This record gives sequence, structure tokens and C-alpha cells, in this order.
Amino acid sequence: MATTTGTARAGSDLPQVVREPVNRTHVALHVLLIAGSAVMLLPFFWMLSTSLKYPPEIFTYPPTWIPNTIAWDNYPNALTAVPFDRYYLNSLIIAVSVVFLQLTTSSLSAFAFARLRFAGRDKLFTIWLATLMIPFPVLLIPNFVIVRSLGWYDSYQALIIPPAFSAFSTFLLRQHYRGIPLEMDDAARIDGASSFRIWWQIMLPMSKTTLAAVAIFVFLGSWNEFLWPLVITYRDEMRTIPVGLSKFQGQFNTRWELLMAGAVTAMLPILIVYMMAQKWFIRGITITGMGGR
Amino acid sequence: MQHKLVRVLMVVVLLAMFSSLAAAQDKAVVTWGFWGSPEEAATHTSVAEAFMEANPDIEIEIWHQPWSDYFTSLDTLWAAGDGALIPDVLFLSPPIRYAARGVLEELTPYIEAHDYDISDFWPGLLEYGTTYDEDGTRRIWGFPRDIGLEVLYYNKEIFDEVGVAYPTDDWTWDDLLAAAEQLTVVESTGRVSRYALGMEGGKFALFVLQNNGGLLDDMRNPTTCLLDSPESIEAVEFFAGMMDNNYAMRSANLGQAGGDAAVFQSGQVAMIIQNASRVSAFNAAGMNYDVVPVPIPADGQRAAAAGGAAWTMSALSDDKESAWTFLSWLQSTDGGQGIYTASGEILPALESTALSEAFLGSEENPADPPANRMAFIIEGRNAKPGGRVAYFPEWGEINGNYVRPVMNEIWAGEAVPAEVLPGVCDDVDAYLAEMNAG
Amino acid sequence: MRSNAPVSRMERFRLRAGLGRWNPGQQSEAWIFLIPGLTGFVIFVLIPIVMSMGVSLTKWDLLGPPEFVGIANYVELLTRDRVFGRVLVNTLYYTVVIAPLQLGLGLTLATALNQQIRAMSFYRLIYFMPVVTNIVAAALVFQWLLNRDFGIISSIIWDIAERYGVPVQPPDWINNPIWSKPAVVLLTLWKNVGFTMVIYLAGLQGVPEALYDAARVDGANGWQRFRYVTIPMVSPITFFLLVIQMIGAFQLFAEPFVLFGGEPPQSTLSIVYYIWQNAFEFFRMGKATAIAWLLFAIIFVVTFIQLRLQRRWVHYEV
Repeated sequence: MATTTGTARAGSDLPQVVREPVNRTHVALHVLLIAGSAVMLLPFFWMLSTSLKYPPEIFTYPPTWIPNTIAWDNYPNALTAVPFDRYYLNSLIIAVSVVFLQLTTSSLSAFAFARLRFAGRDKLFTIWLATLMIPFPVLLIPNFVIVRSLGWYDSYQALIIPPAFSAFSTFLLRQHYRGIPLEMDDAARIDGASSFRIWWQIMLPMSKTTLAAVAIFVFLGSWNEFLWPLVITYRDEMRTIPVGLSKFQGQFNTRWELLMAGAVTAMLPILIVYMMAQKWFIRGITITGMGGR
Repeated sequence: MQHKLVRVLMVVVLLAMFSSLAAAQDKAVVTWGFWGSPEEAATHTSVAEAFMEANPDIEIEIWHQPWSDYFTSLDTLWAAGDGALIPDVLFLSPPIRYAARGVLEELTPYIEAHDYDISDFWPGLLEYGTTYDEDGTRRIWGFPRDIGLEVLYYNKEIFDEVGVAYPTDDWTWDDLLAAAEQLTVVESTGRVSRYALGMEGGKFALFVLQNNGGLLDDMRNPTTCLLDSPESIEAVEFFAGMMDNNYAMRSANLGQAGGDAAVFQSGQVAMIIQNASRVSAFNAAGMNYDVVPVPIPADGQRAAAAGGAAWTMSALSDDKESAWTFLSWLQSTDGGQGIYTASGEILPALESTALSEAFLGSEENPADPPANRMAFIIEGRNAKPGGRVAYFPEWGEINGNYVRPVMNEIWAGEAVPAEVLPGVCDDVDAYLAEMNAG
Repeated sequence: MRSNAPVSRMERFRLRAGLGRWNPGQQSEAWIFLIPGLTGFVIFVLIPIVMSMGVSLTKWDLLGPPEFVGIANYVELLTRDRVFGRVLVNTLYYTVVIAPLQLGLGLTLATALNQQIRAMSFYRLIYFMPVVTNIVAAALVFQWLLNRDFGIISSIIWDIAERYGVPVQPPDWINNPIWSKPAVVLLTLWKNVGFTMVIYLAGLQGVPEALYDAARVDGANGWQRFRYVTIPMVSPITFFLLVIQMIGAFQLFAEPFVLFGGEPPQSTLSIVYYIWQNAFEFFRMGKATAIAWLLFAIIFVVTFIQLRLQRRWVHYEV
């Protein structure tokens, strides 16, 4: 709950935000938010509950929320049935690298698209955006051919480099940059700053919240990616968590309790990344607020 | 002194290196591809170990993918022109699709050269991995590992509780219906708390064939759809009727409830019709159950499907003799067949393995449940090629686009068989006409 | 709250007249910024797409060599293939229903969670959790929530029916075509509303507090501040989300399986599912790719219209 207190503190740093004391609107808001939370959490509780059941209890009626006997050993069993430690490490290495690379390439491109003027800019951006519209199943084989011809089959490069380029992040960052007041650039340019310095010293600091949001989604996307890692690797040492989880789904039998235990464990790192990124959402207020008019 | 020692050491090291190199070159490496859950993968691994113990000069390397996208991975490798990355020996279904495109090694010459006995396969089962040239030459491309025939599983506790006599080997559809009426429990609210039967809608062809109906006139070179024949319609109506009466769980509900194994284990259905793959799970759960052959219509026939995923050899394998040694060992009672059967996961493709202790058990070493394992043998001996098993690659598209969607509407209670099946046949016939013309 | 628009328009005029002007020096600079992204983009995105365009003109079962058939795949899809029409209609339904709901709910949530209220980061965490949940794990959960006979939601309804003797029955989500598509929409909203929320939250941080203060001085109430400050200020983000959500809804794929287990009803299947089926189940890669390009054409036209229309409602600084 450290974050909760952190939030409160961040809030008190902003004198202008302090509003009327607890009022009826807030109470109503809490009621609505709590009801919504229940809906959002219900499936997750069921996941947790299933991950702690022995197989005969999973499909009983009426459904039991709290297992009769809590099957703690599902967790060690799930984590040892396949080499999850290795999968975890791989997923982490890949996700962190992809986030770093994609943020770099996307924010550079986005800056060019949002702030620099060059011939064919809008056409190029339209093409960039259009690539999001081709569904992946038909790109799987062409991608495979390219990565294979680079000699990257069954390697980290194959898992990290192709996902490091995304029209999605470029688009989001471009939208954000376009919302940043232009007088910032102007002032800097009058002072003789280069475009690179404007990107580095103005755009990036002023985009922390959006960069954080992009980082979350890029991390998430990489963390949950299934088909590409499956097809481009074959050694167990190169496998990632979603591929490991899918092993619990057999042709005839699915080990639901192990799948759930694995899935719950797999959620934790993304939640941690999310909590870390959230801090930026608070700090962002002050920075952009000061930069405003 | 020291120099001498160093020199001796160098010679020893060099010798060791050469001998290990030589050993490595002696040893043939066969890559082996399969899908499977961690448990199934463990059985496969023990098979590989047993083989390497019996054949120390061949090393087995494992290529393991989850079931969900095993074929996507393989197809991508082939499509990308990387056939060399394909394992030497691999598990495929249906093998004929791959054979037709020349990516598999034909097994017929090896069978002849090594005098491998193919008469031991269940009747018609080997057809699943066989093609015929126009002049009638028979070419075998794959050995099915098991036979996916169904039996009727029943939960003894529910039968005891309701007071219904256990099913017998000669049950008919009428017996099934009569028992179903008693076993189904509908509450006053309309909720069905127990269905008599759970069977996947996709298995409907079992009933159709039992009732002397059919899917297509010829499962190798089809020209006409038979689903609109009176026998076929009657069989579909039988199955759909069971769902409308709440005797059988609607197919989509069954899938959504976790599948037939899940509802059978939780007692939400009293009987299921399914292949041998469920046995190990039911035994692990300690269920009190048994099996009988699938009930047939009074004037019907047994209609076990003669099909099962097959071991095949890649056409690009660089050591085909070793691959054959492994492949034929996999398909022998003392080799792979025996180990898979003993693990309780399959009904073996070879009749002799099924009749061996590995499947039937013995006096001093009785087999695990189900007790009536002969039910599988009865179905196996009646297995027929064709009928429910298609031997041409376009069947996937025909079924996926024209048959399955309409059948699902029937199972959902949203369509009447006699009204919609003629339309299905119109679509299928049109497709076949175009296929045969082009 | 009219003060906002004129100010920024003035700003824009100023910029047009002065420093924002097209600058030949920026031409080469721009390419330096673009090179890292562009290189990867060409190799891993553009080339595969061009290759797929070629594939769409062939008959290819993946195992043998592709055979050139011209536009036969497109002709088949547009004239004879009835399944294509059906999955296209399903997909359009999803797009038209999901995208606006997603944006509306996301902005509402983000606004609510941008208040200085207690336990805010706790709420933010909870509403984000579905986004993080593994889709396969979500599968079992939703199947069990919705299953008519043995499901969790159903069990509550059946319980009420039994206890109070009311003749209510849970909806037959899976077998009744009236319920099946809304069920998919519900799942999609549950899973993705956190995504929209987070992007909006990030966007809201960029709205200067001073604007709200000014609005308050002008006597604007809560709704007016939302309508005349928040909405225009986050409009670039809204535009982004609208485009992304539309593309996402057009490409909806796994959800019917997640919801209905192995046998989703035909009424719920999407166009990308049909692409998948053709590619890896029917082994008609050429046709699958042709469908993908038809889908591309549709999405592109819709996006192009959006790009045009954005000038009317999206508020940019440039």
C-alpha cells in the first residue's frame, strides 16, 4: 500500500488541486467505483480460486469460491512442470529490451512526424499507420522468412529486434507531442538549440506520462506475445512464459489448475511495472502544469 | 621430466579428443517431433530413453511443441522453405495432406526391405496414412500411433444411485434413450442439474455411419454429399432430439463447461462417448466407471473411425535408415507401442499390443480401470476405413465452411435437421463439382 | 469556457507566420530522426506486407510452391464466398459497437480516477487488472461465468429462481444468437477498458491545471469543465484511441473462443478468425492473404475518413 500513501503525498504537493472536503459527490463516486471494481475483479478471483483447487473441485456445481482444501502445491507443481524459471528470465530479457528499443525508435520517429517539417511527411505517416491494418496471421510466414535469412532463427535477436518497431507507439507519441505547446520549441530554437536537444531536453521530459503508458503497453504486448515466439524458436532455452503456459493445454486434457497458477504468477511482473509507471502519472501533473500557459 | 609429462598429457588429451570426435561421428542423430502436455512429453521422453538404451548407436533429439500450434510451427517451417529444420521423425495428422505435397518420405520401400509386418494394424487403420496412384499402386506414408475410436463411458455411481442397470456390450439406441430418460435430472426451475449424455457435436458422424448413412459417397475421390439421405437425417435427428429433450448436453455448452471429461468427472453427465484418451485422467481422479462399445441402432452397424495421428519421416531427413530404425521401433509391441499403452494414454494401433498385457493386464498384474477393456477391442475389430475419415485435404474446408456451422446451429436447437441438411448438401456438392473440375 | 479555443487559434496563427514555418534545414534532420525507426520498419513491417500482397495473387497450400492465379482469390471472395460476407457483418457489428463504448467508458473512468480521492491508485490498479490477465486464463473464467447450466452468474440466477419461485432463467449466451454477440462485446470491454483508461489518464496529466482554474473563475461547473476543457484538450488522444480501437475491433480474433470454448457459434466469428482458418486450417494461404487485403482496404478507407474528419474536432498545438 506504499503507493497509496505516495499518491496522497503527491496530491498534497499541488495546492491548486485541493478542493472541497469529502462531499457527497465523492461518496457517490466511491460507491460506483467499488461496484465497478467488483465486476472487474470477479474473474480474477475465480482465477485465483481455481489455481488453488485440486482438479475434482474445479468443475463442481454450485461453484465454490473458496476451495475446500487449498492446493498450495499447485504453484510449485506448475512452476516445475516446465522450466518456468528460464521462461521467466527470457520473457523479462525480451520485454525489457523491446521496451527500451521501441521507446527509442518510436519517440525519435514520432518527433519527426510531429515537430519537423519535411516533404512527404503526412504520406509517410499514413503508410506507417496503414501497416497496423494488416492482420498478423498473414505476416507470420514473410516475417519468418526474413528473420531466418538474417540467421536469427531460435535466437534472442529474433525475439527482440522485429518487435522493436511499432507504428502503435509512434502514433501515440506523435499525438502526444502534437499536444505540447509550441512556444517551448520556439524559445529553445531562438536560443539556438538543435532539434536533437529539443527532443532530448523538452519533448522527452514533457512526455513522461505518455512514455510510461507506452512502456506499460509495450511491456505487456511483449510479455503476452505467443505466436511469434512459438514459431521462431524451438529450443526450450529460448521459450517464453505464454508458450510455457500453453503446454498445459493438451490435445485432450487441460490442466486448468496449473494453467491458472502459472497465469497468476505471470501477471505479477506486469502489475509491478504498472505500479512503477503509475508514479509518473502523478508527477506528470506538475511538470506539464508548469509548462502550460 | 616435466617436458615428458607435458608431452604425455598432450598425447592423452589429443587421443581423448579424437576418440570422442570419432564417437560423436559414429552416433547417428535422429530428431523427433511431437506435441504434448508435460505428462505426455514425459512419456515421449521415456520412449526416447528406452530406444537409446536398446540402440546405443542412435541418439534421439527431441523437438517438442504445445498441441495448440504444433502444426502452425511445422507449416511455417515448410512454407518458408526450411524443410531442413523439420525433425526426421514426426507426429502428423492427417499424414496424407503432407504426403500429397512430397514433404514426406514414402515408407513402403522400407516396409518391404525390412519385412515389417503391417497386418498387425487394426482393419483399415493404415489407410489413414496411405495414398493410391491412379494405376492403383499403394503408397504408405505414415504409421498411426493409436486408433481414435470411441466407447461409451458410464459413471457407475450415478447408475447405482438412480437404479438403472449398467450398459452392456449389446446396447442399442433404444436402450440408451430409455436409460437417458431416467438419468437426466431437470429441476423445477428448468435447470438441468444432470444430463445423461455428453458427446461433442463434432462426433455426430458416428451416429450417421451407425445408421447406415454417410458424409460423402467416397472419402478419397468424393462426388456427392450423403448428409441429406434419410438414414443420415434420421441419425442427426436422433442426436439433436437427445439435446432437445435435455438427455444430452448441447454441444456448445459442453465445450464451454470444460469439455466432456470435466463434466463427466464432476458428475454433471452420467455417460460420455469418447476415445481412450480420457482413461488416464479418470483413473487419476479415482473415478468409479466402466466402458462398453457405443450403442448402435437396432438394424445398424458399428462405426469406429479408423484414424489416428501418425509417425512419419521427413523427405529431407539426412539419415533415413536410422530414422526408419526408430520409426519401426516406435511401432512395435516391445518398443514404443508397449510404453505408450502402458502409460494409459492410448489405444494402440497394433492389435497385438492391444491384446498384450500392456493393455489388457494379466491375472497377477491386472490393468487399471476400465474393467471392460474388451469394449475397445470389439470396436477396433469393427473399424472400417473411410466413412468418417476423409483422405483428401479439401475436407477441412468443406467441413469448416459448409458442414460444421450448420451442424452447430442444429446442436444449438436453432435449426431443424430435415430442413437444413439438404442445403448443406447443395453447398458441398457445388464445392465438390468445382474441385473435381479444377 | 470559450477562452480556450481562441487562445490556441491565435497561437496557431502566430506559429504559422513565424517559427513553425517549413524549414529546408529540417528536411535532412527529419531523416536522421527517422532512420532508426524506418530501417526496422522497412525490414520487419513493410517488406513482409509487400510479400503478403504477392501471396494474395497465388494459390498456396504452404507445403508446395505457390501457383500464380491472378485476382482469382479476390473474385472468389467478392462473388461466391458466403462465409466471408457473414464474418464481415459480424466484424462490422463489433467495430461499430465496441469502439464508441470503449472510448466513452475509458474517458469516464479516467476522469473519475484523475480526482484527488482516497484509494485512487488502488482503483487504478483494479481497473487495469483485466488488461494484464492472460487471455487463455480469462477463457476458463468467462466460460464458467456464463455457462448456462453450471456457470457462476447462472448459478446466482438459478438460485433466485429456486428460492423465491420466480420463473427466471439465465440467458442462453451461447446457443441464442441474440445473446452471443453482446457477450463478446462485454468480454472485450472488460478486458480492454483499462487500456483506454490508462491512455486517457496519461493524456489528462497533460491538461494544464491552470485551464481548469480559469474555467472555475469563469463560473463553469463540473460538467462544463469536462465538456469545454477536458474533451478538447484530450482530443488528440481521443483521435489516437478511436483509430486504434477501430483497428483493434476490426481485427478481433480470439474473443469468441475465449468466451465459448472450442465451438463458438458462427454468429460470433470474426474476419481475422476466417483469415486464420483459411491459412492454417484450410491451407489456402493465398485466399487468407486476399481476405487480409480486403480487410486492409476497409480499415484504410475508414481511417482515411477519420484522418480527414479530425481537422474538425481534434485540437492540436501545430
